[in-house]
Amino acid sequence: MVHAKLFSFKDILDFPTPWGLRLSVSSLSSPNLATSYDLGSIGAVDGSLSYLYSSLPLETISKSAEIDLRDVVQGYRHLQELRRPDERRWWEVWRGGRRIDQRDTMLYGRMFLPRSSVEAMYVRRLSPTGQVKVFCVSDVRLKNGGTVLALYQRDVGKYSTELVYSTDEALAGIRGLYNFGPDPRKDNPLPNPSVERFYGRFSAGAELYYGAMNKSGGVSTGVRFTTLPAHNGIPLTTTLTINPLMGSLSATYAVKAGDSLALCSRFDFNVYSYESDLVVGCELWRRRRPTAPVTAEPSHSGNADAPQHHGGVGETAGILKARLNQNGSIGLLWEGRIKELLFCLGPRATSIIPHQPRESNVKTGSSFDLRRQGQPFRAIGVELQYSS
Amino acid sequence: MAFNFNWSPLTADSLFYARAKELLTTALNKSPKPPIIVDDILVNELNLGSIPPELEILEIGDLAEDRFRGIFKMCYSGDAFLTLKTRVQANPLNTYLSTKPSFTSPQPLAASSGLTIPLQITLSEIKLSAFIILVFSKQKGVTLVFRNDPLESLKVSSTFDSIPFVRDYLQNEIEGQLRLLLMEEVPAIIHRLSLRLWVPEYRAHGDEKENVMGALDGRGPIDPLVAPPQGAVDSSGNPVDMAGISPLSLDTISSDGQALFSQKNLLRLAALMDRQRSLSLFTPSIEGAVFRAWARASERGDAPGSNTPVTPTLSRTHSTVSSTSTIYTFPDASGSSNLPSRPYLMGLGSTTGLSMGSNRHSRAHTGRKKKTRVVNLRRGNISSDTKSVSEESTTSTTSSVPPSIKINETVSPPKILEEKDDGIVTPPRSPNSRVKFRDHQDGIDLGGSPPKSLSLTPARRTDSTRKVTDVGTQTPPELVLSKTGPSSISGAEKLRHPPFHLSHETHHPNSYLQEKPPPPSSSASSTFTTSPSLNLHYPTPLLQSLETTPVGILERALMMKMAGEIARRSQDEKSMENGFWAGSERDYPPPPAYESR
Repeated sequence: MVHAKLFSFKDILDFPTPWGLRLSVSSLSSPNLATSYDLGSIGAVDGSLSYLYSSLPLETISKSAEIDLRDVVQGYRHLQELRRPDERRWWEVWRGGRRIDQRDTMLYGRMFLPRSSVEAMYVRRLSPTGQVKVFCVSDVRLKNGGTVLALYQRDVGKYSTELVYSTDEALAGIRGLYNFGPDPRKDNPLPNPSVERFYGRFSAGAELYYGAMNKSGGVSTGVRFTTLPAHNGIPLTTTLTINPLMGSLSATYAVKAGDSLALCSRFDFNVYSYESDLVVGCELWRRRRPTAPVTAEPSHSGNADAPQHHGGVGETAGILKARLNQNGSIGLLWEGRIKELLFCLGPRATSIIPHQPRESNVKTGSSFDLRRQGQPFRAIGVELQYSS
Repeated sequence: MAFNFNWSPLTADSLFYARAKELLTTALNKSPKPPIIVDDILVNELNLGSIPPELEILEIGDLAEDRFRGIFKMCYSGDAFLTLKTRVQANPLNTYLSTKPSFTSPQPLAASSGLTIPLQITLSEIKLSAFIILVFSKQKGVTLVFRNDPLESLKVSSTFDSIPFVRDYLQNEIEGQLRLLLMEEVPAIIHRLSLRLWVPEYRAHGDEKENVMGALDGRGPIDPLVAPPQGAVDSSGNPVDMAGISPLSLDTISSDGQALFSQKNLLRLAALMDRQRSLSLFTPSIEGAVFRAWARASERGDAPGSNTPVTPTLSRTHSTVSSTSTIYTFPDASGSSNLPSRPYLMGLGSTTGLSMGSNRHSRAHTGRKKKTRVVNLRRGNISSDTKSVSEESTTSTTSSVPPSIKINETVSPPKILEEKDDGIVTPPRSPNSRVKFRDHQDGIDLGGSPPKSLSLTPARRTDSTRKVTDVGTQTPPELVLSKTGPSSISGAEKLRHPPFHLSHETHHPNSYLQEKPPPPSSSASSTFTTSPSLNLHYPTPLLQSLETTPVGILERALMMKMAGEIARRSQDEKSMENGFWAGSERDYPPPPAYESR
């Protein structure tokens, strides 16, 4: 569990809008191997080829016609109860007096064609509580031709830690998250949500980085409170992160106001420069009537667990995400499914090609600008996905 | 020679700083900025200071009224300063992450949150030491190039002076940027500034770009000069490559065409060229054109001793021989008024004209020898001409011809015409036209004008396209004035002429005495006896060139024909003028006949 992800609200506030026309075809040819081809056009045509291998068979639904949108579109995230980590001995497999169990491994590689850069990822589960991740990028435009980021993650439920090392600037970092409350490793009495007004979990985390090459560092701390599924009110999450070095302060508040609506807001303030920012985002789910999917029912018969989760509500037909910041820039994203294609549609404000479309877009965060009269947005990005 | 560099007037112009700031701001923001700078760089304050840089002239490759090329050594340690304002990202982690691929980003939570800080940087105590190549042309403005890295040291003081790490970083970063700026941007800025200053079309175009574009749409093909000129040539006669120019003028292509040549003047120049091929006496005056001859003459008024331009080579050869007599007196002042321009002979004229002065002039102008150092032996004709000329000159020298007579040929043509001369007029053609002219002039002038002017004027007439009456009535002294023109020789001509001079100098002894048989009696006698007039000398070079140099068949045939005609005419003339000149010969020994080509 990367605590950073738990704190951020990228999926509601900083969602990336698609860029140009992008088409990706992927297939899970065997439970262990998946391939994906990606073709995009932003002025020039580019594309990528990616492969994924997992020693642990992937049993998920991969067909884009059948996949549940909830699994591919991330929105408000419900945190689950902490789970007790597996015992080491549970993983042991013996045959003929010898251990034959192996650690699960995942390999992933992606090659971008015209710019000839390669991404690779290696993940290996070392123990029930620890895993190693290695990320590599090889690109001639980078300073040393590429970078490697290595992560060691340890999660015992009650707390989790992460060690980071990046070859760039020899950046080393450590980050941790501590969950207050009962320790999942011990036997606890079953929670009684009705007793507390807010049944949830309170967590605190911190991170520390130091770049040996440029002799610079970074620190931040954060606290979070989130309700757990057993909470019988409206689910909500609130966080506060502080960067004491840079004097920045960020507070978020997210609430799942209904079954198909989530709202989120974030307020940033810097005590040194007095810069501030306010972002408001929402996420709207469109559902099909439960009676409507009668025709679609047969196709879903194979996987009973997809509709079961929100059986009464109906199948998700699409998600609309919107955000607005104080500069008046609006971001819109519509994700849904047409026939067997998953699509993702969003307007764009600028036609300047950024270095990393997704990331930089997250930074600028503007999809189109209300203040630009007459031409609020210039282009619409479309992303189509098909998988079998 | 002295250069006057005005440092303070630059700063006196209130608009100068505004313009410079504006240009500097755009230049600073043009190149991709380091990721630590998150805002535009604004030039807050700019002061050139009161201490001018020290300039040392290392070499001057080209010098004229409207063009200059030289190499300087510049040292500067003045009190100029520059204040920049921008905003920087104070969080190194943020900077670091923004330049890295997101895939390998450690994705910190808030440790990379940005903190932008307004930053004010003052650059002062700038020490520069550079070798500068400076090329100035009225048409193309100033081009300045640093041959080495000019920046020696500078002091960067900023908001973060108290933090050594940041200070060092800024110092390094800014020095790097400034080096880039000096090497790449400053030349561009200076070029644009100079274009605004000297090229009115450029300025006007900049102001009314929209109008021009509109006019383009509306008029279309009616005004051909709005579009880039099709056969445009540059100063050396080579076709102008529009693609090559466009980066220079930083404007649209169509504007280039306009900026390069004034539309009005182009038309007039074309008319001027046409006059030369016809008998029309009308010479269009070109507004805004400064003929070198004029400028030179006026200049001369200030310093009479040194201004008569003399080509050292010629003057030397002749001065020794011609010490006997300088017959024409050349008042400096009178020349300033109006000088006829004779494009065709100009090439020759420049050299001869230079020599026209008395010996003292030659000495005064030895400095100019540099100019002629560049030798271009491109054309075969030149060599033949020079040979013939050298022979001629030998004849003239032997006959103790004062160099002054050569003056007749000195011409001050409008510079653009000269340029065209190079490219357009082919060797075989020029004699032809001249012959025609001469014919015509002989018919007209010979009868009416006094002998001296007679002999001289035809030569001028043939060449000159302007103010025939002037020329015709001009007395020798006035001719001298016309010869003052040489100072304004264009670069192209300078290139062309040097070989002529040099060869003249070197061949002089040999060609006549040893290698060459004496010129055909007819032509030689004609040159010798007839007079200083150019027309008469004309045939000889042609004949000789025929004999000596290999030419194309066509050219040869043409020249043969012409030479025959010329020989016949010269004979006629000789017979006609002999009586006339018999008396004056003593006074005016025949000058060597020079061929521009």
